[in-house]
Amino acid sequence: MAHIALEGISKSFGKVQALRNIDLTVRDREFFVLFGPAGAGKTTILKTVAGIEFPDAGLVRFDDEVVNLVEPALRNVSMVFENYALYPHMTVYDNIASPMRSPLYRKDEAVIKQEVQKVADMMGIGSLLERLPSQLSNGQRQRTALGRCLVRSPRVFLMDEPLAHLDAKLRHLMRTELKSMQAEFDTTTIYVTHDYTEAMSLSDRVAIINLGEIVQIGSSDEIYYTPRNEFVAKLVGEPEINLVDVDLVSREGTLCAVFAGTDRCLPVNDDVAGVLSHSTIPKWRMGIRGLNVGYCFTEEENCVEGSVYNLEPIGNKAILTIKVGESLFQAVAPNDLRAELDSPIYLKLDMNNALFFNGETGDFVVRHNQAELVRGR
Amino acid sequence: MARLTLKNVFKRYRNKKNEAADYAVNDFSLSCDDGEFVGILGPSGCGKTTTLRMVAGLEEITRGDIYIGDTLINNLHPKDRNIGLAFEDYALYPPLNVYENIAFNLSAKGVAREEIDRRVREIAPLMKVDDLLEMKPAGLSGGQKQRVNIARALVRNPLVLLLDEPLSHLDGKMRQILRTEIKRIHNKIKCTTVLVTHDQLEAMSLADRIAIMNDGKLQQFGTPLEVYDNPVNVFVAGFIGEPPMNLMKVSILEESGKLFFLFPKKGIRVAVPSRYRSALRSGMEVTLGVRPTDIFISSDDGTGSEVTVDVFENLGDEKRISIDVGEEDFLTLMTEDERRYKKGEKIHLRFHEEKTHIFDPETGDRIQA
Repeated sequence: MAHIALEGISKSFGKVQALRNIDLTVRDREFFVLFGPAGAGKTTILKTVAGIEFPDAGLVRFDDEVVNLVEPALRNVSMVFENYALYPHMTVYDNIASPMRSPLYRKDEAVIKQEVQKVADMMGIGSLLERLPSQLSNGQRQRTALGRCLVRSPRVFLMDEPLAHLDAKLRHLMRTELKSMQAEFDTTTIYVTHDYTEAMSLSDRVAIINLGEIVQIGSSDEIYYTPRNEFVAKLVGEPEINLVDVDLVSREGTLCAVFAGTDRCLPVNDDVAGVLSHSTIPKWRMGIRGLNVGYCFTEEENCVEGSVYNLEPIGNKAILTIKVGESLFQAVAPNDLRAELDSPIYLKLDMNNALFFNGETGDFVVRHNQAELVRGR
Repeated sequence: MARLTLKNVFKRYRNKKNEAADYAVNDFSLSCDDGEFVGILGPSGCGKTTTLRMVAGLEEITRGDIYIGDTLINNLHPKDRNIGLAFEDYALYPPLNVYENIAFNLSAKGVAREEIDRRVREIAPLMKVDDLLEMKPAGLSGGQKQRVNIARALVRNPLVLLLDEPLSHLDGKMRQILRTEIKRIHNKIKCTTVLVTHDQLEAMSLADRIAIMNDGKLQQFGTPLEVYDNPVNVFVAGFIGEPPMNLMKVSILEESGKLFFLFPKKGIRVAVPSRYRSALRSGMEVTLGVRPTDIFISSDDGTGSEVTVDVFENLGDEKRISIDVGEEDFLTLMTEDERRYKKGEKIHLRFHEEKTHIFDPETGDRIQA
């Protein structure tokens, strides 16, 4: 168990700068997720902690001790890889036992037996111990790899996309199992993923990584309700958040958002108006998630006229795409909704859940009820 | 445009190793209405692409008949079937520009130049490739290449358009955009279309009706909502829907005149919907199927079943609760309320009366109420 700190870490591969000045602290026993698109630098950060990659600049600390010059094997970290990396000639038992047989962390065979059985039962592979990796399904291989990682008592677990190769159903099950076992780990964990549901579900805190930089660090509530910028807002949620250029105008003393191609004005909440009206930002963009986009077929107050662009029933819900001017809005609708393409429809936005971004930089500015939503309910 | 009908179609492959014959497609019948968009959905190796290739004439038919309109096409040459084809890999001609690629089949047929020009310029804006006509394929993105590919299939005014996994090479956002485009174009030109895909989301969002295949056989043919709400067997139930339907073996328990689903390992019991009263008896074993969105948390008034929250996940747009019922999988439900649940918390569950399914544990077939 340890707290891990990265201070000013930079790393280049040839001309490509993979990491730029990364600062982050992972607290003792925290489940910390590194989340971002492919090529963002997540795995490089993980390898820097493991000692497999050597930073060009910056310090890596385990419990305040600088470990830059400590060999990977001596850092006492336990890592699980995306491609499992099991020993093909060893049984499940021997694979899981292997870390406890290394010269550095050698344990008694009696202790090993006990530990292997315990972790194998936890992973649900207790009856497969005599099998070779080639005799296992992908899910069982991944459980074995996780078991091998968890069997030790390292200072930190490092997990690099451990579920990425599994099919959707198994990924969902393994995510739930990992979450269910989390309390038992009781060890600092750094987990890399590009899947927002894993990041939201598993993390105590998330660091969003893009182009080798940290974009935001926060709880899953903070990431969801107050994304640092449009990039983060788009990463979380399905369908992707709707973003539209708006003008802010004052009508009869109320601050309203008006978007391109319409004259309909949507009043913003008082707390939001308070922030927006004091701002000097010249250009605005409003973000609103599919869940908060409503619709109606007859004109109502604060509705905006548009047309049905697409309607896709996808099981428990339908994605309704509404075209207003040149903008498309995706709304979550009931799966039995019927509507002809290109027929008229009215868009009804839940302004309580609108996010306002600086239209030039994409940075988040304000939303309604901001403080309450992120105060870790 | 025309109806497409497949009658008892078989495709047999001889397995060289052991001389045994395998049916890639086994007694497959399907009828697509004029102008309909039909999806053929199934896991890899289920025979869906073979079926499509038989319609296209790229694969011989072992037995059975295929009609376009009233014409039997079994022995027609592919080029005489009047079919438009767009495959997963775009297979554009690299030395030709977009215009020439779209025009190629028409020129090969000897259509007059003015007519070709008229048709290409009619179809290009529909597929939003009218700005790309001078470009070579190498300069196009994956999404643009697939647009050209579909334009090339449509320019011949085919009676039937066949699409084989047209979106599977594209990344998430582009896939969604092109999905929408395909749906809108179909709505405009109403060409009878068959889409082959392994992606249930794609089939659900595009098709008027979906034919679900497994192991060479048709499992179910229906609208997206029909196959979602009334799956005919365990395979369809598990294949359609995300997150997947909870499917687990339970036994039936009768107590003071009431029937319960019993999860034996944990002793959890949940009331059986009343419509199944006559179909079930105490002691029977069935496969229970209930979607995560069809399980409700009820107040503690004695009607719900008490269970313990094992995992609570806040995924932003939705929240999931998983319960360890002693089976391989968790029983998962989704909630949209703002409440956060904790591990170990007791809650009471109720299954949706109409949307709880039961299946025969042997055959996997649905047991009717």
